[in-house]
Amino acid sequence: MMINYQKFVLNNGLEVLVHEDHSSKIAVVNILYKVGSRNEIPGKTGLAHYFEHLMFGGSKNAPVFDAALERVGGSCNAFTNTDITNYYVTLPAVNLETAFWLESDRMFQLSLTEKTIETQRKVVIEEYKQRYLNQPYGDVFHHVRDLAFDQHPNKWPTIGKDIDDIVGYRKEDVEEFYLTHYSPDNAVMVVAGGVKTEDVKRLAEKWFGEIPSSKFPKKTIPQELPQTSKKVKTVEAEVPTDALYKVYHMPGKMQDGYLEADLITDIIGFGRSSVLEQSLVKNGHIFASVGAYILGTVDPGLLVFSGKMEKGQSAENAEKALDKVVKDFLQSQVEEEVLSKVKNQAEAMKTYESVQLLNRAMSLAYYAHLGDAELYQTSYEKKTKIPSHQIMEWANTILKEENSSVMYYKAKGG
Amino acid sequence: MILDRTVAPEFQIPEQVNFPSPIKKTLQNGVSLYFMATPEIGAVKLEINADSNRVTGIVEKKLVSYFTLHLLMEGTKSKSSADLDTFFDTYASEVEVISNFEHNGLGLLTTKKHFNTVLPVFRELMTEAIFPEKELAKRKSQKALSISIQREQNGNRASHLFRQELFGEEHPFGQISDEQDVEAISREDLVSFYSEKLWVNPEVFLAGNLSEEEVEKVCEILGDLPTISFESKNPDFVNLPKPRLEERKESALQSSLRVGCHLIPKNHPDYFGLWVFNVFLGGYFGSRLIKNIREDKGHTYGIYSSIGSLKNADYWVVMADVIKEHTETVIDEIYHEVKRLQEEPIPIEEIEIVRNYLIGNLLSNFSSSFDLISRFKSIHQAGLDFGFYEKQLEYIKTFKPEDIQAIGKKYLLKENMVEVIVG
Repeated sequence: MMINYQKFVLNNGLEVLVHEDHSSKIAVVNILYKVGSRNEIPGKTGLAHYFEHLMFGGSKNAPVFDAALERVGGSCNAFTNTDITNYYVTLPAVNLETAFWLESDRMFQLSLTEKTIETQRKVVIEEYKQRYLNQPYGDVFHHVRDLAFDQHPNKWPTIGKDIDDIVGYRKEDVEEFYLTHYSPDNAVMVVAGGVKTEDVKRLAEKWFGEIPSSKFPKKTIPQELPQTSKKVKTVEAEVPTDALYKVYHMPGKMQDGYLEADLITDIIGFGRSSVLEQSLVKNGHIFASVGAYILGTVDPGLLVFSGKMEKGQSAENAEKALDKVVKDFLQSQVEEEVLSKVKNQAEAMKTYESVQLLNRAMSLAYYAHLGDAELYQTSYEKKTKIPSHQIMEWANTILKEENSSVMYYKAKGG
Repeated sequence: MILDRTVAPEFQIPEQVNFPSPIKKTLQNGVSLYFMATPEIGAVKLEINADSNRVTGIVEKKLVSYFTLHLLMEGTKSKSSADLDTFFDTYASEVEVISNFEHNGLGLLTTKKHFNTVLPVFRELMTEAIFPEKELAKRKSQKALSISIQREQNGNRASHLFRQELFGEEHPFGQISDEQDVEAISREDLVSFYSEKLWVNPEVFLAGNLSEEEVEKVCEILGDLPTISFESKNPDFVNLPKPRLEERKESALQSSLRVGCHLIPKNHPDYFGLWVFNVFLGGYFGSRLIKNIREDKGHTYGIYSSIGSLKNADYWVVMADVIKEHTETVIDEIYHEVKRLQEEPIPIEEIEIVRNYLIGNLLSNFSSSFDLISRFKSIHQAGLDFGFYEKQLEYIKTFKPEDIQAIGKKYLLKENMVEVIVG
């Protein structure tokens, strides 16, 4: 289940990983930029995601990115989250060089035309409406993040705090963002599939070698102070039934306690056999559904409990029922069978994920961005070796009332 | 040497794509099993698909097959609901319900490591389920809630109404379920459907790193499944002129659009032409619809046209969520783009792009061995085999633009279109 790879770094700081899989006739080129919504400032929220759209607006020598790629049999897409913006291209391996040409050109000299800036502003506003406003429960994380965080940019979702911010981006904002974040020293490139490391080395030098490193420093990200008392918010909306969100601050990706928090939600909330599902849904009458998971962010994030109530049941009552399950969990020991179940699942997830070449490329890029691609394997091994008493110590540290924020998302007139 | 970035690198278009066929086995009960070996992959995928009651013509309450399939994990003769949950979670195995227009069934995703342990319990679900009242009551209240949420989701609502208009509300494909349909379900309905009407003409699809013996074991374990043999009559539909259906919502910020009609079967001589026509129009990111409605006008986050697969004749649908006040403009532009593609010469550059994109896409779709079984399943269920993709590749390489234009003109007629707007 290890992913084989070779690694090298260009003089301008671009980190390149090559994962050879000669069973494949296609190649994946995955470029991760170390920029996400955590690098935004109030009033300009959503800029990282909006910028992702602009990256498809053409560069100096390839005015139509998609068409140039499709002409050689390729396709592409991208996503943005709190921490990264990740672009990927899939194409016949024989045409690998085209991906290098296109990706290097948009890293080096993106066009940023008026037409692209204005049209993509409209498109992103429609995306915002389609996914977050015109959907029942679509804006829950706008509220939850805003409640839980005071300082840190995790306070707003990647799409942006509100549409006004998107309306307000100026050309200077966009240009500054490009110059600050879209440089070889702020990126990781993974090339995977039917490719040879020596070819990738030659092509990387040829196409990316001359792109200068960034001269613009990144802004410092304000960090959150420890929360000292419980926060509560009630929202009313046109939805069929109440929903409950209860979140707790937890450590960031590379910090102590992160893997333990991940295990806590696996134990308490993963799968149909989990204690949450069994006691609150299958043998309870308040919850129609329930879940527990972590937002796996680089900076300290959130451990989330969420659920929808059966009709006529209130979110406030649901919180009491949830609290009881959490309290019982805190006073218990993790049984051996439960621990081995969770570890089996972690192992199987890796197997399922690694079936697709693209997933392997993304995993390598993600862990390389955290500091070392080896972490893909070592953090998994570390997670499966954590003893149960250590999980419970962290559970008692994180799952404290004063560390929580609760949102009752209530059905109007319900 | 200074790099000249103005010149795009040379490229080649692959001539060949490999379409390896699965191994076929016939089980003792006559069921066919198709196996695709994937030596380098640690995951195993097993699916059993039966003809759905929506094509067997057996009249049932609307949600009987839904609840029957979803209750299989809620208890068998030897294991309680909680036992089953713990068992499958412990072995990190996912049981999935398959329920689409033409098929009902179960899927299992597991690892090679646990496959032999999990298989017998997966087999139990097919014949030993007991349908406990308590679990049924919970499932019913969950389903009623999800129906009420889906009704509020404009995209879902529009898709449901589109199916109703296209297939007719009398036909099972066109029916929309509501809370009363949930209420009407009783345990007896499920028990009788399970024992008498579920496993109609089943077939098995398997992929994984499995030895000869392991495949034999699957054949043996599934070989005693009692099956029902039935001459299923997949329906034929005709395009009927219908007025536009609108469900306006004061509070909505966007409108969900669906425009479409019935097409022709996959074995029809015009099929590939129509399929390519759809790609130009709205079937990929560089399509006419995306360029016009999204990249030029910014009226939507996404607009696509696609071909839905059915055994006797596929259907066509354009989908988009658009700015409310531009709804009419977008519908006009859809027809305008159809007409333009039918009538005006297609630029040579665009033809080259579509040709090469489609070849690359086919290569990519067949590049992961684990996905091959699903590709095979979908074409096999349409009554065809991988020869279909060979012909498709040949067509992509050689089609003449005038041909696809003539074909588009023949089948995509404005007067045949069903139009639905929600929001």
